[in-house]
Amino acid sequence: MLNIENLRVSVDGAEIIKGLSLNVPAGEVHAIMGPNGSGKSTLSYCLTGRDDYEVTGGSVALDGEDLLDLDPDERAAKGLFLSFQHPMEIPGVQTMSFVRTALNAQRKARGEDEISAADFIKLIREKAKIAGLDDAKLKRQFNVGFSGGEKKRMEMLQMAMFEPTFAIMDETDSGLDIDALKMVGDVVNALRAPSRGFLIITHYQRLLEYIQPDRVHILADGKIVKSGGAALARELEKSGYEQFIKAA
Amino acid sequence: MSNTLFINPTALEAGLQAAFSARNKSDERHAAAFERFARAGLPNRRIEGWKWSDFNASVRALDPVEAFASDAVIAPSAFAGLKPFEIQIVNGRVVISDDERPEGLRCGVMDAMATIPELEAHGIVSLNVAMNRKALGLTVEEGVSLARPILIRHINDGAGFSFAQTLIKVDCNAKAQIIETYEGEGAGFYSHLNHMAVRDGASLQRYVMQETGASNIVHAMCAAKVDAEASFDQTSFSSGSALSRHETLVHFWGKDAEASINSAALVGDGRHSDFTSHVVFKEENCVTRQLHKGVAAGRGRNVFQGKFEVERKAQKTDAQMTANALLLSDVAEANHKPELEIYADDVECAHGSTAGALDEDALFYMRQRGLNDREARALLIEAFAGEVVGEITDEGVEAVFRAKVNEWLEAQ
Repeated sequence: MLNIENLRVSVDGAEIIKGLSLNVPAGEVHAIMGPNGSGKSTLSYCLTGRDDYEVTGGSVALDGEDLLDLDPDERAAKGLFLSFQHPMEIPGVQTMSFVRTALNAQRKARGEDEISAADFIKLIREKAKIAGLDDAKLKRQFNVGFSGGEKKRMEMLQMAMFEPTFAIMDETDSGLDIDALKMVGDVVNALRAPSRGFLIITHYQRLLEYIQPDRVHILADGKIVKSGGAALARELEKSGYEQFIKAA
Repeated sequence: MSNTLFINPTALEAGLQAAFSARNKSDERHAAAFERFARAGLPNRRIEGWKWSDFNASVRALDPVEAFASDAVIAPSAFAGLKPFEIQIVNGRVVISDDERPEGLRCGVMDAMATIPELEAHGIVSLNVAMNRKALGLTVEEGVSLARPILIRHINDGAGFSFAQTLIKVDCNAKAQIIETYEGEGAGFYSHLNHMAVRDGASLQRYVMQETGASNIVHAMCAAKVDAEASFDQTSFSSGSALSRHETLVHFWGKDAEASINSAALVGDGRHSDFTSHVVFKEENCVTRQLHKGVAAGRGRNVFQGKFEVERKAQKTDAQMTANALLLSDVAEANHKPELEIYADDVECAHGSTAGALDEDALFYMRQRGLNDREARALLIEAFAGEVVGEITDEGVEAVFRAKVNEWLEAQ
């Protein structure tokens, strides 16, 4: 599924990711944990193709296909989804219209038919319910005036709508209350499938109580410094990152 | 009229003088207007208020002749679906539709204004007053709500210069919608002077669509007198031209009146759009909202000048002005000049002005969701300009404005 080999990424000339290798096989959920400044968000932006994130070495492939040469929208059409740490407000763009435009853009790029208006409305209402957003929110401008938690719910709504092949969740749990955390867990668990992979980036072990990861990796100073099973996250919660930063 | 009005007249000045002499044999008031024009000249960039829109430089290069009557076939208007009562002003010549008139509308050709005191220092207005002996006159009778909008199509497909004047009265407690379109592929200079009276309790919605070809030079002045408890709501769209300036001058002559003056400019490479406005608050408790959104691409130039002048007597004035510019290239220009001049002490007046590029974070977000670069940019620009369009209360008019925004985006 997702294969990252010896990846090096610089931002404004400073190397942030320093030879990172990671394999997430199809059907698995992997968690990346790490302290502030370890390169977690850089990794998520680099994987999704943001400008200004310069790849200076290594490779990234999704199902054997090189991702690094693709534009962000081409990666999205391949089924790569990023749940943003800080989702954007888009004033003047209606939520329903944006999600439908995005869904149809992906479908069109894959050579599929556009979704009909009736099917779309049925689908988004169903997913909004799961994400805990009421219909009134869907009628508003995209994320405008939404609380931090509501914006994260909107990310989960989109993830549920797009049914991505591979989802990266960049600190989706930050700023969420217990109910919202549980909702995130429900959305991910409902989407878990043998053909789908997840990379969950987080500071804390909390979210992993709702989503059982297959593997946990510790990222420090731009590299994976330790990998293990779900128990590693619990160990981290007790002992902190300090020992791993030293190891890096 | 002697030839000594101009010292060393340019070809244009000589042409204007000849045209003036041909149509005004012995009318002193029009002669006085022409003299005022001769003294003021066409506005140039050395005059504050015109520094970004130099009509002198652009117009003097034109053929110094009057634009000819056109026999071009005129395609149906984008607003035809609203079943408007249509009037065409083709190269300055008025053609009133044979259609049945909406009940309560009087329409015909009448004597033009011989002076507009508050605009006597305005070179182009003086020229317009001098040149027009006759004007299109429209009166919406007292208490009438016009069932159909009035559409005035200014079609400029000639070279040289042309002038027209419209006098509109919306009588007490009447309601009307007036749509004006500026069209045509000509390379001439067209000046239109619109004088409006919105009487007590009346409501006038004015829509302006500036969409001439790239070579047109357009100046349109709308001077509106708004009486007590009346409302004047204006929404304009401009894709610019070689040089286009749409001016709005509002005088609140009565209490408890309101106005909105909204404009969206989408200016492509090499085009110029100027929205200039001046609202004079003369009486108490009047409200004005003004929103301008300007997008400039390539070497496009977007000018916005807005002024609120609150006289001593105009207590409890509530006026807000916002102007936002979006620059789509390194060489695009936005020139904003918001102004407040306040002589009353119990008022709420504010203005805000911003300029910037498209939000890169929002662009990346949209592309991560599957929109390509072009689609993401178009959606953001549409949303930006759409705020002005969203203020339009008439669904049919709003749909045409939205379509024009999309047409512009597709052409980029």
